[in-house]
Amino acid sequence: MSILLVLTVLPLLSIGVCYFVPSRKVQYIISLFAAIAHLVCSYLVFSGICIPAENDFIRFDALSKLFLLILSHVYFWVVLVSYSYLNRPLIVKEEKSKKLYFMMLNVYLFANTLALISNHLGMFWVAAETTTLSIAPLIYYYRDKESLEAMWKYLFLVSVGIAFAFIGFLFLALSAGGTALEGQQLLITSFTRSAAQLNPIWLKASFIFVFVGLSTKIGIAPMHPGDIDATSNAPSPVAALMSGSLRGTALMGVLRIYQIMVRTGTADFARTIMIIGGLFSLFVAFVFMFKVTNYKRMLAYSSIEHLGLITLGIGTGGVAFAGAMLHTVFNSLTKVVLFLTAGNIHRVYRSREVNSVWNVLQAMPWTGWLFLFGFFSINAMPPFGIFFSELMIFQGLLTKPLLLTAVLFFLFFIFVGMSKTVFHMLYTAPSVEQTTIISEKFEITHFASLTLLVLLIALGLCMPAQLCDIVGQISKDFGIIL
Amino acid sequence: MENVLSILFCLTLLYLVITSRLKTYVSILRAQGVLLSAIMVFPFLHHLSVHILIIPLMSLVIKAIVIPRFINKIIIDLDVHRIVEPSIQPFNFLLLIVASMSTIFVAAHVLSGYTPIEPIPFASAFSAIVTGIFLIIFRKKLIIHVIGFLILENGIFLFGTSVAAEMPTIVELGSMLDVFVVVFLMGIAINKISSTFAKQDVTVLGRLKD
Repeated sequence: MSILLVLTVLPLLSIGVCYFVPSRKVQYIISLFAAIAHLVCSYLVFSGICIPAENDFIRFDALSKLFLLILSHVYFWVVLVSYSYLNRPLIVKEEKSKKLYFMMLNVYLFANTLALISNHLGMFWVAAETTTLSIAPLIYYYRDKESLEAMWKYLFLVSVGIAFAFIGFLFLALSAGGTALEGQQLLITSFTRSAAQLNPIWLKASFIFVFVGLSTKIGIAPMHPGDIDATSNAPSPVAALMSGSLRGTALMGVLRIYQIMVRTGTADFARTIMIIGGLFSLFVAFVFMFKVTNYKRMLAYSSIEHLGLITLGIGTGGVAFAGAMLHTVFNSLTKVVLFLTAGNIHRVYRSREVNSVWNVLQAMPWTGWLFLFGFFSINAMPPFGIFFSELMIFQGLLTKPLLLTAVLFFLFFIFVGMSKTVFHMLYTAPSVEQTTIISEKFEITHFASLTLLVLLIALGLCMPAQLCDIVGQISKDFGIIL
Repeated sequence: MENVLSILFCLTLLYLVITSRLKTYVSILRAQGVLLSAIMVFPFLHHLSVHILIIPLMSLVIKAIVIPRFINKIIIDLDVHRIVEPSIQPFNFLLLIVASMSTIFVAAHVLSGYTPIEPIPFASAFSAIVTGIFLIIFRKKLIIHVIGFLILENGIFLFGTSVAAEMPTIVELGSMLDVFVVVFLMGIAINKISSTFAKQDVTVLGRLKD
């Protein structure tokens, strides 16, 4: 019970403090404290040291434990760097946004935690919608035309998308017609137990609505545009939070319905839809990686690519499913590194356009090298963790050679497109009128990025037994024997 | 009785399609809020209790009073042109909606043979969802998009009551609060958009693309 209190009540208290105390330093300290406590509790739950109380509405299964740890981890690093980020002199208009910043982060933590541990689909829906509401004001941080447009599009598209997901949940209720579950609460556990009795047609309809609706939040093509605009225009820590944890939370909603479906004859239908969605996302990322002229949008497209790959892995099943789960962890951590370093580049060059950025390695050696290694990590270079998780996904895809060929083709050209942009930023020598400003100290964002990169290598080289166990347990919950 | 109220709900949708005054849109939202609350109360008319009345009352307050007032305020504050400029002829729009509604009603009738659904509330709910989506697609004004979203939400709400899926009170309240906050944030965003850009149309939102 105490664990549950720390995970949910502490962020709530922190919201209260951030609302009433105007001092940004106090807000930061309180939020950081809540983040650390959340991280410790998530780890205790993840490693099985503490077994929290469960009831009809709250459940800590292996999937929740993994996603909760990802959320805590990403959130902790984001909060840690946020204070120094807010103190950067950039634009005067931001002052108003800063007042809301920590409060909204805490609302996000509270809502996201609730979404991840909820066993009731209605509760998941409310919590997932609240995460959108907490993120929307943060997207409007810079208070310029672009961020306003991004916020509007994100808020509108995701709200409509989530409304669709709700229709999907209601279809799930319809699928229980004529069984013992009719008119009962939408509890995931009871629906999973009695999955075999559910009406397959409504179940399929439910999956389509939930998948399409939540795709706006996960960033699965073709529902991705709002997500791209929001991630690329939000301040870097918020973009890291969105790419690192928010997309995962939405994916969780799809996984919950899939978890019910794997016990029925409709599982293949869900797998096919996920494979199509994943492959199309890779295609979209492949096309836009060559077109994109804004490096934050490039990173957003990279998120589309990796979430596409994860969905594809889940759809493929077997080893690829386990690979997809590990990929979720590694992708989240790498995205934090990339967005934080991209934020540093934005601060110095005052532009998100690739052509306005040059010679980063010389001008900002810390940021430049970390960005480069982040780029290596996201493109699955060994020994970073993503290399191993992608390898597992490919291994699973071996039974579908055509699909594997298409995936490898897209990934190769995405790598080429991304390298073109990244190397242009890092290495291009300045022209006559451009000068290179050389001044960079070791900051907290560098510390965070460095630690995360080391962690990514460590996780890749010697994977902790607990992580393997949890992934094994999740696979088992989804009917996969590794 | 639910069926009669659901049909009334459907008629408000048809009125929504042919009207060109923003004020009428708000009145329709208000009417739908009242109808939805009534639909929720009717099955329990003989054994009313405070617990049962909480959700219908909240929905009445939020859907029929608070949100329409808020939208009215935005319309007055921004001095939005009161007349809606459609990007589709009203008559064609009406034809489209009537065709969609007919298809939905026939489909619901067929479906009710296989699954335990109430065909009329089910079809009305889906008609509202489709009308909401069409409003978002065929109208340019952002405020109408918000109204379209609300019509869609009303449809889902009606769908929820027709499915009779059990939702805890806290979840029902949470979802209503969420919808309210979404509309609130959208209202603020429209305010900002009108002070930043010249118009409050979707046409001004074209800066972000690749």
